[in-house]
This record gives sequence, structure tokens and C-alpha cells, in this order.
Amino acid sequence: MFKFIKQYAEKIEGIAIYPLISQLIFVAFFVLVIVYVSKMKKTKIDEMKNMPLDQ
Amino acid sequence: MHIEKFSYDNRIVRNFAFATVIWSIVGMLIGLWVALLMVFPELNIGGIPVGKETIGLSFGRLRPLHTNAVIFAFVGNGIFMGYYYSIQRLLKARMASDLLGKIHFWGWQLIIVAAAITIPLGMSTGKEYAELEWPIDIAITLVWVVFGLNMFMTILKRRERHLYVAIWFYIATFVTIAVLHIVNSIELPISPFKSYSWYAGVQDALVQWWYGHNAVAFFLTTPYLGLMYYFMPKAANRPVYSYRLSIIHFWALIFLYIWAGPHHLLYTALPNWAQSLGVVFSFMLIFPSWGGMINGLLTLRGAWDKVREDVILKFMVVAVTAYGMSTFEGPMLSLKNVNAIAHFTDWIIAHVHVGGLGWNGMLTFGILYWLIPRIYKTDLHSKKLANAHFWIATLGILFYAVPLYWAGFKQSLMWKEFTDAGNLKYPFLETVTQMRPFYALRAFGGTLYFAGALLMMYNLAATVKKAKGVVDDDAEAPALESSYQAHGTEHWHRPIERKPFPFLVLTLIVILIGGALELIPTFLVKSNIPTISSVKPYTPLELHGRDIYVREGCYTCHSQMVRPFRSETARYGEYSKAGEFVYDHPFQWGSKRSGPDLAREGTGNNKKSNSWHYNHFDNPQALSTGSIMPAYSFMLEHELDTSTTVAKIKAMQTLGVPYEDGYAAKANADLMQQENLIVDNLKQDGIQTAPNKEIIALIAYMQRMGVDIEKFKTTKN
Repeated sequence: MFKFIKQYAEKIEGIAIYPLISQLIFVAFFVLVIVYVSKMKKTKIDEMKNMPLDQ
Repeated sequence: MHIEKFSYDNRIVRNFAFATVIWSIVGMLIGLWVALLMVFPELNIGGIPVGKETIGLSFGRLRPLHTNAVIFAFVGNGIFMGYYYSIQRLLKARMASDLLGKIHFWGWQLIIVAAAITIPLGMSTGKEYAELEWPIDIAITLVWVVFGLNMFMTILKRRERHLYVAIWFYIATFVTIAVLHIVNSIELPISPFKSYSWYAGVQDALVQWWYGHNAVAFFLTTPYLGLMYYFMPKAANRPVYSYRLSIIHFWALIFLYIWAGPHHLLYTALPNWAQSLGVVFSFMLIFPSWGGMINGLLTLRGAWDKVREDVILKFMVVAVTAYGMSTFEGPMLSLKNVNAIAHFTDWIIAHVHVGGLGWNGMLTFGILYWLIPRIYKTDLHSKKLANAHFWIATLGILFYAVPLYWAGFKQSLMWKEFTDAGNLKYPFLETVTQMRPFYALRAFGGTLYFAGALLMMYNLAATVKKAKGVVDDDAEAPALESSYQAHGTEHWHRPIERKPFPFLVLTLIVILIGGALELIPTFLVKSNIPTISSVKPYTPLELHGRDIYVREGCYTCHSQMVRPFRSETARYGEYSKAGEFVYDHPFQWGSKRSGPDLAREGTGNNKKSNSWHYNHFDNPQALSTGSIMPAYSFMLEHELDTSTTVAKIKAMQTLGVPYEDGYAAKANADLMQQENLIVDNLKQDGIQTAPNKEIIALIAYMQRMGVDIEKFKTTKN
């Protein structure tokens, strides 16, 4: 099982790619969240943040 | 629009609140006791025989009881208390099932009671914060599913379209703890209360600390952040400072946290690339953590005058400040140069208690003082007493942490100091005896904090007594329209916020990325664990000895990991290699050196005679004046249970340990032969003992440690 991955993963040489991949995934994800957050409407934000008080 | 009438279940909140208070007292009392054991080792009570088992109240058995009690009993119940109160109100719905709530409550308490019975009996997996044996692990999984099921059923019948950020934290907690608990608890049972970790050595270490650190992240942090985002605005009567920041805080935090585990294994035999990943992500954690802290503190903007008056806000401010302090300290500690000083010392104990006593403790107390009067529809019995609690607890934290920071630095510097002639300046024992005043001060700090909790218990009990009893809150809200019309264009995240299952899946993907990229290569890459030809499986007697080592919780004070520093190789010998641990189910690298490292105990300068070990286990202080090690005299009498040998060898074979086929049947004969060799050797030193005693197995294990690598060096030369 997973032989096609295993034959690459068994060699340590390419391992530097892991931190790189993970950094890239994180940065991409982070940028996505920032974009989303910056595009949120003020009215919606006010509605959301008042939810605990609105009971 | 049809308005529906319903009520919020306050009884489940009350149940968890009572459990929180009771277990806080129990957990802290055990903590205080183990702190005292480090000052007065004669208070350790070794194993009292109960049939084949023994009940022990020594440090090694009680320390796991303390950590499990405060994490899963005190904080666990605290999470559920705040969660049941807030989620009903944020969703404008009563919990979907009162019955599931009750099963959750009683199931959780039964698990705690089972832990309180089995851990002193020495039934331990030997993995920190996951010591509970496999039947209890299964029970935890089932109860956790009940908790999650009730949560999602409630989310589905909610009357509020969007999920407030606190609920995101609850969902992330549910899904991540489930993954962590299941992956780390994969073990092979050999009896109802004994199992072996499926993983060995380096892999076991990585899985354990991936779990261990994320137990901090997803049990002590994310659910409490959820509580902070609900209860702080409630207590201050103003909304959270920035909702935008809370969204960034959430996603960045859960994404980064899952990678951070390897910072517990810096300079160990863990492959370097995994260590580096751990460092980078741990450092980056400072940003979302501080984002959260700032968000919490700035929620009080314009209300700081209230903090002077309102004791609940005082508790919360100290809690969030402690969160900020420990999440600044954490990333610093994960830098390799700082870690080289702090790891294995009392600095780490101080660090976790700033988090535990400060963040979890103070936030729980604040919530309890806010919540109990509300569900009982009365006022707090005494604000003065609550204020006294606040000051005593704050002082307690300072008296706890400051001496241990000092002790940690001092210890580390003493371990590393060389004389001009190039020899180590301090024998290990001296680095222990000099810690005693600091340990005494720490116990004083703990006493203060504990006294504060007692005051709280009295205050809350008096509050409850004067009330008429807990009543459910009536509420009303319009039912949710079945079809949702978005207003204008929507961004991608909006649908996720109102759809719990896609949200859960996204959360799962985010946490799995980190886990998978870290764990899978460690399991697949062959060169990560170079094989050492001289490393052989343990003999049956040594295996029994190792199991006794695990049972007694020796790993709570002794490491088995020589780091590649001159100060360590000079003290202990050759630094530890990944290939040495391939047959260690579970790994026993440890996380604290209240006693010396034992990885090379059977070789080189560290090697001691069998009779030394025999006498030392009987009475450590007689051989090492000032030692704080508990005495294990009962092992001189307690018989080794060899009826499990066959099952143990077979289990090891299943796990891939290369004993020859059919060896299980012959194992006890080999075991007796090795026992007799040790007994004969002891006789030469004037010690008469029967061979079938536990002490003999433990001595065999002590003498084995580090021997394989020594052989390897000899053959190479």
C-alpha cells in the first residue's frame, strides 16, 4: 500500500520540502482568512460580536 | 414570524459546576501533596500489596494522578460547565437531549473515578497525560462521542443562523481531541489493565508529544478561548473588541498549534527536520496567541474602572494576562538555545503552572463566581471572600512560579558547569539538594492557591444554600426559517459559519495537515531511524523490570535521553541515538530530571553493582544523602508476576519485536536463569534474597540500560 509514495518518502534527501510545503500552505491559508476578514461588512460584524449580549 | 417558547437547561450546568469545584479541590490537593513529597521524600508511601497488584502513594504514581485530575477532571468539567451554559444561549436552543447530557456528565465522572483508582494501583501506559489504560481510553472515546453528538444535534435545531466564534472553538476542540486521543491511544492489550503502545521509540515519542502538546492546545486552550469569547463580554457587558481578530485568531491558532509538538523533543534522537518544523511553528504561535490575548484585554476598553470594583473581571484579567505570559514564554522555550537551558528543569513546571493556575484556574474561578448566582437566581454570598480569594490566588501563583524559575535556571547552570580542569563541577545529587528551599517555597505558593480554592468552595456553597434551587431559564426566539436567503453577495466563509458540518470538515482538514506532514514521514522514512545491529530485544526479566519502571512512573523524574551536549556526554556517556529505542513500547524519554538521566545506567561510569541498586531501592537516602527519591522497599518482598510473561512476549512479537518463533514458551526459563545470576551475585555482597522478587527484575532492567550501544562501540573499535 502507498508504494508509490513510500518509494519517495523512504529517502530522506527530499525531506526539506516538508517544511516548505507546510509554510506555503499556512501562508496561503492565512492570506485567505485575512482577505475574508477584511471584506466582512461592518453591520455583519456588529451583529456577530453582539451575539453573547443579545439574549 | 412564529415565536417559540423554550427553556435553557441549567441543571446540567450546575452539575458540571459542582464537579468543577470538587475536582479542583481534589486535583490541587494531590498537587500540593506531590510538591511536599519533593521536600519531604520520607512521606512517600510505596506499594501496599493488594493481591498481585500494589497500591502506591509515591511521587511517580501520584504525579500522573495530579496531572490527570487537574487537566481532565478540574479543567474538563470547567469546559463542560461553560460550554453547556453558553452554547444553549448562543444557539437560542435547549440542548438537544437532556439524557445525552446526563450520560456525558456521569460518564465523565465515572472515568475520573476509574482514573483515581487505577493510577495509584500502577495501571499506567507510561505516556504523559495519557496514562489511563485501554478500557478507560475506550470509555473516554464513547463519552466524547456522546458530548459531540449532543452538541451537533443542538446546533442542528438552533434558532440562530450564524455560529458565534466561541462555538467554532468548541467544534475544533471536539474534533481535534477525538483525533489526538484515538491516534495516541492505539495500544495492544495483554490483560484488562495492561497494554503496550503500538508505536515504539522515536515514533512513540513523536506521537506522544504531538498528543501531549495538543492536549495543552485543544483541551487547556481552545475550549477556554471559547469560554473567554463568551464570558468576558458577558462579565464586562460589552462585545468582544474585534470580531475580525477573533476569526484570524481561531484559524491561525488551530492551524499552527498542531505542528508544535516536536518542541518537546529538541536535541533528542528525533530527526532534525521534525525538530525544525516544531520550532518554526511554535515560534509563529506567538502571533495568534497574542492576538487572542489582546482581543480579550481590549474587550475591557473603557471599562477598566469596572475591573477595580468587579472581582469577576479581576479574575478574568489575570487569566488573560497569564495566557499572554505563557504563550510568550512557550515560543521562546521552543527556540533551541533557550530549550537547551530550560528542558528537563523546573522552569517547565513553572511555565505550565502559569498557564494552569493563571489561565485555566483564574478563568474558571471568574466564570464560577459569575455563573452560580445566575443559575440560582441569587447574589453571591460574599464579595469580600471572593476578593480575598483573588488576592490569595494571585499571590499563590507568584509564590509558585518565581522560586521554580529560579530553581530551573540554577539547576541548568549547575548541570552544565565545568571546573577549570575540565571536569563537571557538581555531582547530580548536589543539584537536587540545592533545590529543596525552592521546592519548599513552591509548596507554600501551592498552599496559598489551594486555600483560595477552599474559600471559593465555601462561598459558592453558601450562595447555593441561600437560594431556592437551580431553575431553568425561560426563553423565546423565532424559529429558524428553513430556507436561507443571503443578503447580497456573500463571501466564501459565510456559508461555513452557518453550516456546522462543512465547518467541522474544514477544521479537521486544517488540523490533519500538520499532523500528517509530521507523522507520516517519521513512520515511512527508513533512514529516520538508523538500525543499530547491537540493539537487541529485552530479555523477559528486563521486560518485566521495564514494566515495573513504567508502573511506578519513574519517567516522571528520570529521563532516558542523553542530549548531544558536552555537559551531558561527560555526565552520562554517549548521546542517545534513534536506533536504540526501536523495541521500546512505550518510549520512556521523560520530560523532567528531578533525578539523573538513566539512559546509560548500566554502562561506563554510571554502572553500579547489583547490591548498590538493591540497597538504593530499599533506602535511597542511606546511599545518597539528601536524595529525594522514594523508597521502594516493598519490591524486596513483592513477588514478580511471571504468569504474564507469555502474553508479554507474544504481544511484543505482534508489535514487531524480533523474538524467535516459539520463544514465549521458553521465556520463563530464561527469566529464572537471569534471576538466579543476579541473586548469586547479590549473595557475594552478603544479600540473601529469593529470586522471584520484583526488585530483581528492576535491577536487571537498570543494568541493561545503555549496554547495547556500548557493545556497538566495542565491535566498531
